[in-house]
Amino acid sequence: MAFFEQHIHDEPKTFLSKYVFSFDHKVIGKQFLWYGIAFLGIGGMMALLIRWTLAFPGEPFPVIGQFLFPHTNGVVPPDTYAMLFTLHGTIMIFYAITPILIGAFGNFCIPLMIGARDMVFPTLNMLSFWLAFVSAILLLASLFTPLGGAAGGWVSYPTLSTLIGSPGIGQTLWCLALFVLGVSSTMGAVNYIATIITLRAPGMGYFDMPLTIWGLWLTAILNAIFLPVLGAGLLLLTFDRVFGTTFFLAGAAATSGSGDPVLFQHVFWIFGHPEVYILILPAWGIVSDLLSFFARKPAFGAKATALAMTSITILSTLVYGHHMYTTQMSPLLTQSFMMLTMTISIPSSVFFANWLGTIWKGSIRFQTPMLFSLGVVFVFGLGGLTGLYLATVSTDLYLHDTYFVVGHFHYTMAASVLLGGFAATYFWFPKMFGRMMNETIGKIHFWITMLGLNGVFMGMMVVGWAGMHRRIYNPFVYEFLQKLIPINTFITVSAITMGAAQLFFVYNFIYSMVKGPKAEQNPWGVGTLEWTIPSPAPHYNFAEIPVVKCGPHELGNPNLKGDRDFQYQTEELVECNS
Amino acid sequence: MTTTVVKKTLSKNDQGQEIISSVGMIVALVSFAMLFATLMMGFAMFRLTAPVWPPAGMTKPSLLLPSLSTLCIFLSSVCYMKFEKNMADNRGLIATIVLGFIFMIIQTLLWHSLKTQGIYVSSGIFPSIIYAFTWIHAAHIVAALAMLIWLYRNVQKGVTPTTQRQAGNTGKFWHFLGIVWFIMFVTIFVI
Ligand SMILES: [Cu+2]
Repeated sequence: MAFFEQHIHDEPKTFLSKYVFSFDHKVIGKQFLWYGIAFLGIGGMMALLIRWTLAFPGEPFPVIGQFLFPHTNGVVPPDTYAMLFTLHGTIMIFYAITPILIGAFGNFCIPLMIGARDMVFPTLNMLSFWLAFVSAILLLASLFTPLGGAAGGWVSYPTLSTLIGSPGIGQTLWCLALFVLGVSSTMGAVNYIATIITLRAPGMGYFDMPLTIWGLWLTAILNAIFLPVLGAGLLLLTFDRVFGTTFFLAGAAATSGSGDPVLFQHVFWIFGHPEVYILILPAWGIVSDLLSFFARKPAFGAKATALAMTSITILSTLVYGHHMYTTQMSPLLTQSFMMLTMTISIPSSVFFANWLGTIWKGSIRFQTPMLFSLGVVFVFGLGGLTGLYLATVSTDLYLHDTYFVVGHFHYTMAASVLLGGFAATYFWFPKMFGRMMNETIGKIHFWITMLGLNGVFMGMMVVGWAGMHRRIYNPFVYEFLQKLIPINTFITVSAITMGAAQLFFVYNFIYSMVKGPKAEQNPWGVGTLEWTIPSPAPHYNFAEIPVVKCGPHELGNPNLKGDRDFQYQTEELVECNS
Repeated sequence: MTTTVVKKTLSKNDQGQEIISSVGMIVALVSFAMLFATLMMGFAMFRLTAPVWPPAGMTKPSLLLPSLSTLCIFLSSVCYMKFEKNMADNRGLIATIVLGFIFMIIQTLLWHSLKTQGIYVSSGIFPSIIYAFTWIHAAHIVAALAMLIWLYRNVQKGVTPTTQRQAGNTGKFWHFLGIVWFIMFVTIFVI
């Protein structure tokens, strides 16, 4: 490991250099947090509009419907509906979850937890945020173009996404926005990987890193490798739309050779399956750490957890075909992809068992971050198990493109990542803003969210199993689906409940930032490096670079004397006979 | 070896910077490589599933211009290696930049000649591949040329460990683009 000490730069003085064009990883992390939360709100509103249409087809959306859709008296029109589910997916994945988990907590936690003063490339870091900002403007601008934003689904399969399917400029802007965002995330990934390799504090080996850092590191590696794959696909799609190339256009023009729409599906899912793990790995890492911290026990099999996450990262590059069983893939391929996909359950069960082993016989403190972490364990368990039905070719052929798929991927990459993000927010809020969030409101937020969330996604699985297809404006024109109206109403009511619960969070977040009680240096009693410095973390973090002497999960060691039940990573591990 | 001598005298800070920047550059090159690998994968899929290649009614463009540009980019890499061996002599760098510009001119001529032969962007999958891939590659060449010119200005102010590092990383990118072009040349134009 190459260690060298970074210089301490002067603290920025002007507003612009301190809060807007800042090089400081903590400020950039907060910028990403605001960005992500804003888009979480937008994406959530879109989800409610979609749900309303499915539960009460043809009825005007209450209150804001009249302003949004004056031509239809507040009813969501069919073409807008397609736009809504497209942008809901795009925004939640690329503009909400990615910025919060990777942008905000990646930036904030990596240097603090490995004992560095900043990222290795601060300028690249700032550029990464502002490119993401440009991308957001491109995406939002697409909403105001003559034919509206992209409406071909978040996967944007051709022919729906070519000029034939969506002639408007909105889809082109969508491609460009995602391309720019991809460049931004790749920059971030280069930065994260290099930082973790080169700037770990002296004494910190790879297995002394907190599992949060493991998760973020593996995510960054996947990002650096697979975002360019999506980038290439988006470039070719843009060329098809703007310059008239024919990569994804199939035609009868066999004389000049025609393109192939299925090629885009391959490219998209070669990126898309790793993307699922890009989203979930940081949450896994965070949860693995928090379970240990709040159960006051060392993480059970921390090394095995890290290695299991690594093997999932590797396997995730080999399984993308399970999204394409219905594209007339040869049975030889579908069977191979099925086998490889099933293999992922082995490392998954390893770290899942480790999670349970961590909390087993722990003296658990049920504080808000822990509640959310336990929520992730529950939700991810459910999501992971339902994935088996979709990995199996014979069941997937029936379930493909039904709401069962929607329920499954929301459980795994929406619900568990969202809960993981909340756990991280409640946990690192004191270090970010120097104040504590309110525990009672946090617990209310957790329970109502949990209730609403399971109502929504469990309900989706049920209607999906019953055969309800996704992306249909009004499924109840089909007679066999009409019996599903009550369950759909239940799902929508749950969604509204879940949405309302987030108001508690917003209130708690903003109120605590201004008026919350001042946080101590180490409010949770945890030994990782970020808790050895004052809250909020001072400019340039560590006055003196710490020297690491033990692992991140040294809690509840029976040899510890004194009133602490944990050790800081800067302390020598207490042995039996000392 | 002069380089080892220089490395030994580097300060600890320079050593750190050296490692950091090369780790960063290698990760970035992996990203760029994946971009081009995806393009080549798409090409391979079309190529292997097509009953005849080039598709019926199309002829391969003449090898003359692409061969010239391959030669140019090859020579530019050779010149750059010379420059890296002895950075005090910046003629190698100037030659690299000049050859890079000539490469771009030849590419422009190639696009022009394709058009005069009636091969347009929208004439089917084979022209789509030729145009799109060369465009994407050329965009990277333009960025790399900007880096080379920036490096030239820095080197003129004197050779320091910082400029050596910059030269090393810019070089990695330039050689990488040369290799990508060579693969494109062989797969698209030759076979
Ligand atoms: Cu997948």
